[in-house]
Amino acid sequence: MTNTYITNATWALTGEKIDLRMGHGDEPVSVFLNDIPLDGVNGVAPAGEMLIPEGARVIDADGKLVMPALFDLHTTINLEGHSKRESIYRAGQAANQGGVWGMLVMPSRGFIFDNAATLDSFDEAVSQRSFATMVPAGCISEGMAGEQQAPYNTLAARGVTILSDGGRMPTSLLMLHRAMKYAAAMDLTFAIRGDVPCLSEKTYMHPGTTSYNLGLHGTPACAEEIGIETLIRLAEDAGARLHIQTVSTAEGVNIIRRAKAKGMTSLTAEVALHHLLYTHENVGDYDTTFKTLPPLREQSDCEALLEGVKDGTIDCIVTDHTPCMPFAKKQDFVSAPQGMVALDTFLPAIYTHLILPGKLSWADVVRACSTAPAAIVNPYDQEEDVPVVAPLLLFDPAAEREVTPDSLYCGTLNSPLLGTVLRGSVTLPISR
Amino acid sequence: MNPRKDLITIGALSDEDIRTILESTSAMKDIFTKSVKKVPALKGKSVLTLFYEPSTRTRSSFEVAAHRLSADVTTFTVSTSSVVKGESVHDTIDTLMSMKMDYIIVRHKNSGIPAVIARHCKAAVINAGDGSHAHPSQAFLDAFTIKEKYGEVAGKRVVIIGDILHSRVARSTSTILRRLGAEVAYMGPGPLVPPQQHTGIARFTNWDQIFEWKPDVIYLLRVQNERIDTPFFPAADYHQAFGVTEERLKRIDDLNMSIMHPGPVNRGVEICDAAMEYRNCLINNQVENGIAARMSILYHLTPQTQCHD
Repeated sequence: MTNTYITNATWALTGEKIDLRMGHGDEPVSVFLNDIPLDGVNGVAPAGEMLIPEGARVIDADGKLVMPALFDLHTTINLEGHSKRESIYRAGQAANQGGVWGMLVMPSRGFIFDNAATLDSFDEAVSQRSFATMVPAGCISEGMAGEQQAPYNTLAARGVTILSDGGRMPTSLLMLHRAMKYAAAMDLTFAIRGDVPCLSEKTYMHPGTTSYNLGLHGTPACAEEIGIETLIRLAEDAGARLHIQTVSTAEGVNIIRRAKAKGMTSLTAEVALHHLLYTHENVGDYDTTFKTLPPLREQSDCEALLEGVKDGTIDCIVTDHTPCMPFAKKQDFVSAPQGMVALDTFLPAIYTHLILPGKLSWADVVRACSTAPAAIVNPYDQEEDVPVVAPLLLFDPAAEREVTPDSLYCGTLNSPLLGTVLRGSVTLPISR
Repeated sequence: MNPRKDLITIGALSDEDIRTILESTSAMKDIFTKSVKKVPALKGKSVLTLFYEPSTRTRSSFEVAAHRLSADVTTFTVSTSSVVKGESVHDTIDTLMSMKMDYIIVRHKNSGIPAVIARHCKAAVINAGDGSHAHPSQAFLDAFTIKEKYGEVAGKRVVIIGDILHSRVARSTSTILRRLGAEVAYMGPGPLVPPQQHTGIARFTNWDQIFEWKPDVIYLLRVQNERIDTPFFPAADYHQAFGVTEERLKRIDDLNMSIMHPGPVNRGVEICDAAMEYRNCLINNQVENGIAARMSILYHLTPQTQCHD
């Protein structure tokens, strides 16, 4: 069996032109570029300098970028009328299109990861139906009810490294504090969104002119910020790893920056792509597509979050992919569910709206969307007993594609990008 | 002018819509003094009142208005318990469309519901109050009442006092008054008055500031206990801090200010008994004008049902 060669590709992080030799499946990873392991690659050389045997399979990647594929730390697979297996299949297809090779799947009503049986059946469905690696996040509390701790030891034995109640902050800080103390010994990470539920209940969007005009109650930024501060103090005291989910406010970024500056190495944080791209004004005249949890905030928050990504305060950009049935999103704003879908369009949207306008570099994106999130989850192949690393991704920056209902594989249409044209398209995976 | 199908917010109306509706309100009111208080303007048309929230005044005002225009009125009573959890807005809309109604007058506790119904319905949809969002027919009757009292709205000063945060009346009435050239200010308990940078409306915190500003109209809002689960302010304070007390009524009288209120009134909370008998209390005028304004609104809207039947 001959090797496959990729020639004239541009390494996204540095812009260098390179040739790559792809290894066979049983050859170990042998090559690192910018400290990133290149899965399936066993040779790299400057473009034109690699010896290519006659008859070898060659992919000319002139004009295309190569980079490690993305890992999404925040995906929810809502069933929305489909079976579990079908939903898993669709999410995997969507991820492939968006440049995502693997994802952390949040527990949700359809997938309550608080017991071994659910995890086993999920893993089985993923191995049979999914194009993408899917790592389940175990529940913090049984049934995500916030009352009793889930059996962390059992979950950890099934490969769980992250615990989350899916966007909900447990109301009982005592339960959470004890959970953190217990789980710290197993090196589990708590992924929680900062919130004070009693301050944010019955609120529907960011407080401002739009919320006033629409007569919708505003979610105060301080609810999230107090929540973040509280989580940090609890995790510090308990000695647990903490990952703050979907930070949406400028002060939230500051709180995390201060904690990291103090030397809290077990703290990481994420921002959802939509919090970098949209503000509360996008809600316009009750556009439920822009109803998210936490809500879209001010332009100054978007800028502070972007700054946080650039200086590493915010470790990851995530999709916070949340499929919602068209029917549900067509309800009035108060009744409609929160969330957007973003897996299908993830990398093209980042390229079009963050890289092309010069807001982020490819190096920022590779760190925030590939290496950092994968390092937080540490996906591990239990059968092969090896860590799983990102496959290479080939990205064509010259391609253009309109986002249409047919082009969204995830199964629902709650994407703010529907009807818009995105630059760039993804070929994935090229190393498998 | 393009025929307008729905009335959801004041903001969506053109200046011409506002002017026309106010002008014909006056003509409608003339009908009340005739021996036959009915005109055939909407004869053969069907009007549905769909109230998901309890209401006596607004619903009966719309029903009287529709009757005086000779329309057939159907009252769809929705018990709050059965509907909120079960039937989605979409299913309700489908039901309504099958009924082939020409006008649907809707009130709902959620902001934005009438707009959802209007988008999916050929009938003319009139928002009779949605959550904290809008109450445009109240805005018309308020503007008309001020115009009737003072000759015009432009240049008048109106302070709206009370729970601004939850009030659709404050939003709609302030919008129409400002469109017509009046100055509006808000006053009320701190947590219930949104900051000026969100509303674009001056925010007072006490009566001294109001008397200094010298408004023409004191517009009181009802303290809406049914919308509030965790108290926004100590209830026992309200009358002394924000209500029209007998003492304040004397100054209001001295300064010849008018008092308005969308009703129903909480005596002894936002207003003292004596103020109800005050010579410039326009509350009953508002009720009477409400019927005329709603007749004018019904008359002004054009359902798209005719051509499709």
